[in-house]
Amino acid sequence: MEAPDNEASSTARTGSARRPRAARTPAGLRNSTPAQSLGAAPAKAPSAPPEAAGSAPRWKVASVSVRGTSHERAGGVCQDSHCVRETAPDRLIAAIADGAGSAARSEIGAEIAARTAVDALCELLADGGAPPNTDEAWAIALRAAMDRARAAVECEAERLGLTPRELASTLILLFATPALAAAAQIGDGAAVIADADGELAILTVPQSGEYLNETTFLVTPGAVEAAQTAVWRGPMRFAAAFSDGLQILALRLSDHSPHPPFFAPLMQFIAAERDMEEAQAKLASFLVSPRITERADDDLTLLLAQWAG
Amino acid sequence: MSGLEESVEFAENPEPRCPCVLLLDTSGSMQGAPIAALNEGIRTFKRDLEQDLLAARRVEIAVVTFNSEVRVAEDFSTADVFEPPALMAGGQTFMGTGINKALDLLQARKSQYRANGIAYYRPWVFMITDGEPQGEAPEQVQRAAQRVREDEDAKRVAFFAVGVEGANMGALATIAVRQPIRLIGLNFREMFVWLSASMQKVSQSQLGDQVPLPPAGWGAI
Repeated sequence: MEAPDNEASSTARTGSARRPRAARTPAGLRNSTPAQSLGAAPAKAPSAPPEAAGSAPRWKVASVSVRGTSHERAGGVCQDSHCVRETAPDRLIAAIADGAGSAARSEIGAEIAARTAVDALCELLADGGAPPNTDEAWAIALRAAMDRARAAVECEAERLGLTPRELASTLILLFATPALAAAAQIGDGAAVIADADGELAILTVPQSGEYLNETTFLVTPGAVEAAQTAVWRGPMRFAAAFSDGLQILALRLSDHSPHPPFFAPLMQFIAAERDMEEAQAKLASFLVSPRITERADDDLTLLLAQWAG
Repeated sequence: MSGLEESVEFAENPEPRCPCVLLLDTSGSMQGAPIAALNEGIRTFKRDLEQDLLAARRVEIAVVTFNSEVRVAEDFSTADVFEPPALMAGGQTFMGTGINKALDLLQARKSQYRANGIAYYRPWVFMITDGEPQGEAPEQVQRAAQRVREDEDAKRVAFFAVGVEGANMGALATIAVRQPIRLIGLNFREMFVWLSASMQKVSQSQLGDQVPLPPAGWGAI
């Protein structure tokens, strides 16, 4: 991984047209919370939007969170969580959250963060009709969803008599259609997409401080406002998001570029699988296989989505 | 398809590093049983770390000793290649000078990491002494205490002070920001097992600003 001092330079990469456009903290957002900007009703109880009734989902999704071997040894629980929803007709909304190892009940925070962010983005997009059409509008929508997730985690912390810090987690929120991907991220992990030719591009990159074991969490003051956001436009067929445990295996950390030999077999795998329940099981056994665990003994989450339209 | 286990290949990245300086008092009063127990403890430390595949590759240990002179007995090396030095005791206690040296060493190491694109964890300094600063210019001690305070505040380092019997715990408390720990007897072995477990925990944590450390059973406050 490059020295964190240089990390901001990842937005300034010169690159091919395949590079996503990153929109980090546009100046115009500073003085208004995302929720206000959208005029969204605050603190509305999240309700699950209906699945695309009757039509076969055209996103093939496999996603698993597994407990790391170090947590297993310590008798801990899996602190990662994820949530996936396919909304009509071709929209995929997903979130993954990695509960802080240093937080007492981060598995609760991670679960609420992922689920609420997905619910909130579903609602925001349903309320607003068509998806946002500018990068800035996307940034506002994604941050608004993250802000609701933050509020939900804080609310749960209060209910449990804990501080929000004890429910700390990272959060990656991903939206995808066959023509566009948008993502926002607080903390570690990354989101990656592949275009129609199978060419990979990084959407959001790991964010950490100077030290590897210091990162930003959803409940960190100012984290939502400073969340990294990115929009990628063009024909796309594959998206992946993963928690930080897989970073070192899936990305070249010096420039955060996706490692093609890591992703190509995963793309083939999900394209070939017919039974997604079986695909989940296979993905889970991959994540706990010795080859992975001897390199990464943290909790792991991997989400794969393939457009099969 | 043949399983994902066989087909997925991993990116080659330099292993992230977790630097730890053992800052050891080798003044005259450590002669005999204490220095023997300390040497044995360091060997335990290496053995224990080595058994953890990830920690063996990630934890980097350096040894700085202080008596009437300050010496880098071992520069940074990962646990698998670390050679525990055979320490001898004698002389005064240039503790402040030793602390300054340890902090300099860490700073230089971090620059090397950055220059080579290696990610790293927050460094640790683990100081073990049975005395108090002695024989050196008071400015050295003041400067050391000030640097420890500044570096702790800026989260540049986690500085732990352990006092062996005879240590001036009050003096240590004016240097270390964290409460100094008093070693029970010459329980260096347990102390280093704890340190190894802590380093393993830190080197495996991929996030969490400070991992909770296993409780110390070898010391008291």
